[in-house]
Amino acid sequence: MSTTDTGERRRSSDARPVITDLIDEATVQSIGEEAWVALVGEEEPLVPLLGKLPDDVLSSWVDVVGPWIGSVVLTTGRQTAAELTRALLGDSAPELLDHEDVADAFGEIANVVGGNVKAALPGPSALGLPEVGDAPVVRNPADVCRVEVLWRGQALAISVQGALPPLPVPSHPHHEKEVSL
Amino acid sequence: MKILVADDSRAMRQIVIRTLRQAGYDDHDIVEAEDGADALSKVSSEQPDLVLSDWNMPNMTGFECLQAMRSAGSVVPFGFVTSEGSPEMREKAASAGAMFLIAKPFTEDTFREHLDGMLA
Repeated sequence: MSTTDTGERRRSSDARPVITDLIDEATVQSIGEEAWVALVGEEEPLVPLLGKLPDDVLSSWVDVVGPWIGSVVLTTGRQTAAELTRALLGDSAPELLDHEDVADAFGEIANVVGGNVKAALPGPSALGLPEVGDAPVVRNPADVCRVEVLWRGQALAISVQGALPPLPVPSHPHHEKEVSL
Repeated sequence: MKILVADDSRAMRQIVIRTLRQAGYDDHDIVEAEDGADALSKVSSEQPDLVLSDWNMPNMTGFECLQAMRSAGSVVPFGFVTSEGSPEMREKAASAGAMFLIAKPFTEDTFREHLDGMLA
């Protein structure tokens, strides 16, 4: 008896995991909260409430490359990112912050959150260096785990998002009608 | 004692130094390095008694710095302070000669737990 190889088994074993198969929102939120308490202080924790991001936002992120490929992205208002920088630097904050100060501090928070997200994902994975600017584009909405919180009453989002577009939907040649031209 | 704090983030260096003070180690000299290459150079020029280093840094990683130190015969105690605290990283750190790995985020208690034997 012969069987036809439809490719189903091969395709299912080749399927990439999406982030929601690997980590849930509660874990991401808990990682963010722990990072905030340690870096910013117990007095000003993240509050698990939805807020509205302003138009002028800044993102910081680190890339994770392993069985899952994507980025851990923090996004908040530019002014909130500056306030976070002051909170991190404490007494050593300069009177006037420049972009480099904010990029350094906001990037480091992404690094700490990203490192802990990476540790919760299957490995081995490599963690990139922090980057700051406009967030990487979401290429597969199904490959995103996003939590939104408030800090000092301002909205902040933590998005763990895949870097790759969705895989093409497998076709089933034996079910498709052939069209002759 | 002299402690070399290596991290490419100035904010994180400040947090490490602040946490050292909060943990009670406020009478030690602190030297800062902004990447692994800078740390390696300052291990020679500053002769620290302890190195606290990030892992992921541009130019030279903390891990490469540790390997270069040990290859050059330096036995200065070395500990990682890094956002990556997986069992694999801890094992890799230990096999290269690191005394400990403190995962970020950390508290002053974590610092005391690892440093009391050396600095108290």
